[in-house]
Amino acid sequence: MPNDYLLTVISNIGMISLIALSAYLLLISGEISFGQQAYFGISAYAGAIATTLWGWPLWVALLFGSSLAALAAGLIGLLTLRISGLYFSIATLAFAEMVRLSLFKLTYQVEIDGELIGPNGAEGFGEIRWIFDNDVSVFEYTLLIYSVLFLVLFFLVLIERSRLGMIFRMLGQDPLLTRVQGLNPVRYKVTAAILAGFIAGLGGALYAHSFTYIEPQIFNIMMGVHALAYGLIGGLGTVLGPLIGVAIDIGFLESVREFQGYRMIVFGGLVALMLIFMPRGILDEKRVYWLKSIARRWFRA
Amino acid sequence: MTDFLQNCIDGAMFGSGYALLALGFTLVFGVMKRLNLSFGPSIMLGAYAGTWVYLNVSQNVLLVVLATVITTVAVGIYVERLCFWAVRRDATIASMVSSFAIWMQLEEVAMHLLPERTYPFPTFFTSTVIDVGPFFVRSEHVSMFLLTLVLLALLHLFLFRTRPGLALRAVSDNPLASTYMGINSSNILFLAFAVVSVLGGLAGFLILSADSQVTPFFGLWATFKGLIAMMLGGMGSLPGAILGGLLLGVVEANAFWYGGPVIRDISAYLLLFMMLIVRPGGLVGQRIVAQQQAADERV
Repeated sequence: MPNDYLLTVISNIGMISLIALSAYLLLISGEISFGQQAYFGISAYAGAIATTLWGWPLWVALLFGSSLAALAAGLIGLLTLRISGLYFSIATLAFAEMVRLSLFKLTYQVEIDGELIGPNGAEGFGEIRWIFDNDVSVFEYTLLIYSVLFLVLFFLVLIERSRLGMIFRMLGQDPLLTRVQGLNPVRYKVTAAILAGFIAGLGGALYAHSFTYIEPQIFNIMMGVHALAYGLIGGLGTVLGPLIGVAIDIGFLESVREFQGYRMIVFGGLVALMLIFMPRGILDEKRVYWLKSIARRWFRA
Repeated sequence: MTDFLQNCIDGAMFGSGYALLALGFTLVFGVMKRLNLSFGPSIMLGAYAGTWVYLNVSQNVLLVVLATVITTVAVGIYVERLCFWAVRRDATIASMVSSFAIWMQLEEVAMHLLPERTYPFPTFFTSTVIDVGPFFVRSEHVSMFLLTLVLLALLHLFLFRTRPGLALRAVSDNPLASTYMGINSSNILFLAFAVVSVLGGLAGFLILSADSQVTPFFGLWATFKGLIAMMLGGMGSLPGAILGGLLLGVVEANAFWYGGPVIRDISAYLLLFMMLIVRPGGLVGQRIVAQQQAADERV
């Protein structure tokens, strides 16, 4: 049985990977979103309310929270269709901050066992007791997180190998080319936004039940930009890219005690240096292609 | 009605600080079409250096200003070399994320430099309330407003009356054509960063001494306010930055008066979001957006 601290780090990596994957999905289809933390947060609150206040089973709450996040993402995707590039980034940032600040005003409490429970503005939302009530150990919950993560990864790999994934990448490389091919960029942009919102939502709902306490401040811009940075560090060539980014930051730097207090100095410098030499991350499209051709040759031999 | 007008006056006064920050963003964006997210944190580091001098070396205001501005410029140049000069020119996202990574770094350096949460910042202005008819204004806001006007005039002189200013505008207008005219755009980038950092350092000093304290949140705050003000006015437009700053100040002052701090922040973001959807070019920058779109269509 691995110890609890290690498990917390591992489950953290899993949950943050989900938001990193959602930022990655938008990155490869050519949009830089600073606002994925909004969907993470919406789903965290919605999912936690569903299990704690309404007594729903976890998997229904997960789907509920993520669907709500996907809905919001689709709406924002539709609203921001006309703008792209930096304008899109700032618009998503503005939306995410609006969501975060609105959570400060959200109070919805229900009396359970003589105690008022539920989100209470800046006080946050504690007592998300699903794990304790259902006697789920940290280990089991980590397994659950990774099952969800692997499902999402599997799904993303399928997308990348399909026509849809091809179109996403084409949209990222050259929107004009997509239009020339007779494809409607609008449809695919909104699809990408909805999928990304859903994936971030899964991470958020899992996060709320893992930490049992959430507050608006968690879902700030730092989370969103980190999510973005993970994909750029790990590489935009494959779905494994964001996971590598998360593993480097949380798994390595946050856990090694020598870096305590200097983590950001190290991480920041590392990222800046890396982006000079590899602007699209460690595993970018070229290197992935190169690795694949090596693998192919190796298997044929 | 009196309340509303009073809020507008306060907002405009404070908005002049926003306008200075927005000018910093818009100048850099105009020259290189990339966003420098660590602009706010570099100002914060400058302010921390100023505070450090104030606490440990001397109470002389001029020295504090010098320390603030020089540190801001030094940090600005560090950011420029690492995140913009060294990164490939077409990697817009990489530069932005890299400047964000440096932001994290700067914030932690500031924490190590001055480990407590808040520090006093020297007040340069004496605080008195001046009555103007039914309205009143705080003297430090008036001095901030006036100093902003002076800085704007100086910036205008630099941009429109000197050769480096002309070169900077040329690069901003059309990078390719300016290269053909023999302008070294890398040098101009460096120059733009230096000018912007001086501006930022002074803006930071003015805002903080009206506030008389500096906290680690100032970096985030400065980046956001500058960004919002710039986008409201129109990305890349100089008059837009000023208008955007004033508009943001007025809206925030009124929202704060009628709804409190959370409503103030929400309304600022809501305004920005609506503006971006309806008019991505902001108040006066629609021409810049149209130009970019036209360039895309040509390709």
